[in-house]
Amino acid sequence: MASTLSDAAARGFAGSGDYPSQRRDLLARPGRPGLATRRELSALTDAWVADVFAAACATTGHENGGVALAAVGGYGRGELSPGSDLDLILLHAGKSTVASLADKVWYPIWDSGVKLDHAVRTFDEGRRLAGQDLAVLLGLLDSRHVAGDPGLVGRLRSTVLADWRAAARHRLPALREAWDDRGARHGDLRHDLEPDLKEGRGGLRDLVSLRAVVASWVADRPHRDVDEAVRRLADVRDALHLVTGRAGNRLLLQEQDAVAARLGRPDADDLLREVVGAASAVSHAADVTWRRAEQVLRSSRTTFLRGRRPVLRLLGPGLAEHDGEAVLTAQADPTADPALVLRMAARAARAGLPLAPSSVDRLAADVGALPEPWPDAARDAFVDLLGAGPPLVPVWEALDQAGLVAGLLPEWAVVRHLPQRNAVHRFSVDRHLLETAVQAAPLVRGVRRPDLLLVAALLHDIGKGSAGDHSEAGVPLAVTAATRMGFAAADVRVIGALVRHHLLLPDTATRRDLDDPATVAFVATAVGDADVLRLLHVLTLADARATGPAAWSDWKAGLVDDLVRRVGLRLGGESASAPAGLTAAQRALVDAREPAVLVEPGDAVTWRVTVVAPDRVGLFATIAGVLAHNRLSVRSAQVRTEDAMACDVWTVVPERDGEPRADSLRRDLLRAQSGDLDLTRALDGRDAARRAPAVPPPPPRVEMVQRASGTASVLEVRAHDRPGLLYRLGRALALMGVDIRAARVSTLGAEAVDVFYLLGPEGGRLDAASVREVTRLLTDAAG
Amino acid sequence: MKLVTAVIKPFKLDDVKSALESFGVNGITVSEASGYGRQRGHTEVYRGAEYTVDLVPKVRIEVLVDDADADDVIEVIVKSSQTGKIGDGKVWSTPIDTVVRVRTGERGVDAL
Repeated sequence: MASTLSDAAARGFAGSGDYPSQRRDLLARPGRPGLATRRELSALTDAWVADVFAAACATTGHENGGVALAAVGGYGRGELSPGSDLDLILLHAGKSTVASLADKVWYPIWDSGVKLDHAVRTFDEGRRLAGQDLAVLLGLLDSRHVAGDPGLVGRLRSTVLADWRAAARHRLPALREAWDDRGARHGDLRHDLEPDLKEGRGGLRDLVSLRAVVASWVADRPHRDVDEAVRRLADVRDALHLVTGRAGNRLLLQEQDAVAARLGRPDADDLLREVVGAASAVSHAADVTWRRAEQVLRSSRTTFLRGRRPVLRLLGPGLAEHDGEAVLTAQADPTADPALVLRMAARAARAGLPLAPSSVDRLAADVGALPEPWPDAARDAFVDLLGAGPPLVPVWEALDQAGLVAGLLPEWAVVRHLPQRNAVHRFSVDRHLLETAVQAAPLVRGVRRPDLLLVAALLHDIGKGSAGDHSEAGVPLAVTAATRMGFAAADVRVIGALVRHHLLLPDTATRRDLDDPATVAFVATAVGDADVLRLLHVLTLADARATGPAAWSDWKAGLVDDLVRRVGLRLGGESASAPAGLTAAQRALVDAREPAVLVEPGDAVTWRVTVVAPDRVGLFATIAGVLAHNRLSVRSAQVRTEDAMACDVWTVVPERDGEPRADSLRRDLLRAQSGDLDLTRALDGRDAARRAPAVPPPPPRVEMVQRASGTASVLEVRAHDRPGLLYRLGRALALMGVDIRAARVSTLGAEAVDVFYLLGPEGGRLDAASVREVTRLLTDAAG
Repeated sequence: MKLVTAVIKPFKLDDVKSALESFGVNGITVSEASGYGRQRGHTEVYRGAEYTVDLVPKVRIEVLVDDADADDVIEVIVKSSQTGKIGDGKVWSTPIDTVVRVRTGERGVDAL
């Protein structure tokens, strides 16, 4: 007995004497900290703690089992960071002498200067506490035997795990709540400039929560990329500990250069970019896992009761909603239909649904390359997605995580996860660009080209990854991207101008004398025309709101408003380009003076429908209604009246497969005119079945366009597109007895901008009272 | 001691700041402000609607100075912010009883 005692004491003494210096040596090794160092430190610590424990058992008479030492938390996973506490639990089978043992274990550890987080528990206490306290549970799920009776540790671990699985249904919501709460309190690694590597959203602690979800058997988590991402975050945290010599987890600005150097990174920006990249992967995994878990919890509740089969609700061709997610249907063919990515993203964002990870994986694996320039339908879907409001962000991040954004918009790579060292910004560059599109979405009624506004919002800071002035550097990138998207040359120029001048208004308004005509002339020259000025004004507002509270105030807005008014006055009113003249073929149809419908293929998905008919009040509404009734959605239209014959050219996209048929259109037109077909009733029924967007689109706006025409009153209607919109607008005008002499209809993404040239019942322009009345009727009809 | 307060046109802030710096003023406080004076704002017609701009954006600068410097500082601000047109703003000074530097507890002229 005496010899055993002295042996153990000698070993214990030698161990406690060696450990701090061995630890110091290990951590003082030059080079990059990493997983290997964490494991080595953990193993070194294990050996020492086991020695201390053995010596303590020997001196207090606990050699015969019934006691054990378990490591929990990160140490339990066999990874010890330089600044981390030793998380240890002394387990015992209800021995009254355990206090003296605990003293003999904890004191040498304290004395060595290593920080200790300790507990002494029986099996029953451990189990009970894990059942009450999530933090204890999460620790025990990672528990590992270090010394003493292995059975004691194993039994507690498997019992706690079984209890957790049995109670997961009730306890997962609390875990989820704690996770949400932590994100709210500690910020988000993806865009904080001084991120908390452990507690922030996307940080190390997120994975601990996810491991608990996985352990509950309710849902699995994505493994690809995530384990690597967590390892990289842990490396940064270790380097931070080594550089500061403290255990803090917040990567403060002042430490960033030293931490970057310790990790062999070129600079702090590069370091932050890595942190944001890793945090995005972790965050995305957390979102996906929680969604999965909640689906399982929800479905297990209902299937038990009703045995319900999964329900697919169709969102569009190849797309459906299933259990709160947007999924591809079995019929979808991403290889043959490369625009499917954009269509799916747009529908999902409009419906406020997340993309199902399995469908995203399928897209990432199979999607074909879009032809360049993109077809109109792809561009429309893209603009639709950008205008969806806040649901844009998670949908975009899911695409980005799967590498799909890189395929659509290669320019994105330079701003992806790019941090910005700037007091006013609260987001990294990529997130700021998305946020600007989100902020621009409710403002689209302020401009005549919502598509250009939204694309410019997405691209305005795209030059931030390049050298030099980012506004200038962004122009060629934006021009290349917009050209690829298939915008017309004039539109590409506008997008380029918006990117180049996106800081022009606030810079000029706060730093130049607005009373000086030279200031106004300077801005007017740079901007060029009134439409670009309004686009720039709205972009400025969206950019400011997306930047952060410090970037904008009513005071600044007042200065910018003033500048815009002055420049607007100088540039004069907007022009409204009148519809073009008739082609020879159309001329021949008009001269034949017979109702005729002509259907010709346009590009890949569009058809051109030409309708010639004797003009009468309400004809526009009837044609628009017949098209909607035949499930043709109008992308653009040119409406003219010559010699009392209307010649209307409509570009339409069938909502379902199959081509539009001229004979059925002509028949419906005649039936509608004779009263046999009640379009209002037919379309109202469709409207009721329509799915409301998750984020309500901004209300419609009707504006008089000044000085656009000498003979007609010109009104512009801007509204969210929906089936039958043009029918309703046309009918409102017909009820007033107003004649539509010409019209230009365009659908840009999901927004309609329709210009009507109107004549009063007597011919000639509308008087002021009629304009007010027509404006009111059109606003109601578009709402 | 005096508190010199100036309300000036926003775009003149940089000029005033550098002029005060070269005069030797240690610190200033700047805030966004709006208001009107004798000009009473102005009315404009834009896009068919009439806008009344009754509160004009201005910048308010405050400087604490020793009594002896007050007139010079006022002069510096007036010179550097003048455009000669309406709405150039105003500068005034007010007597100050006590000034304390929070960090050290220094009082009076020492705290400037």
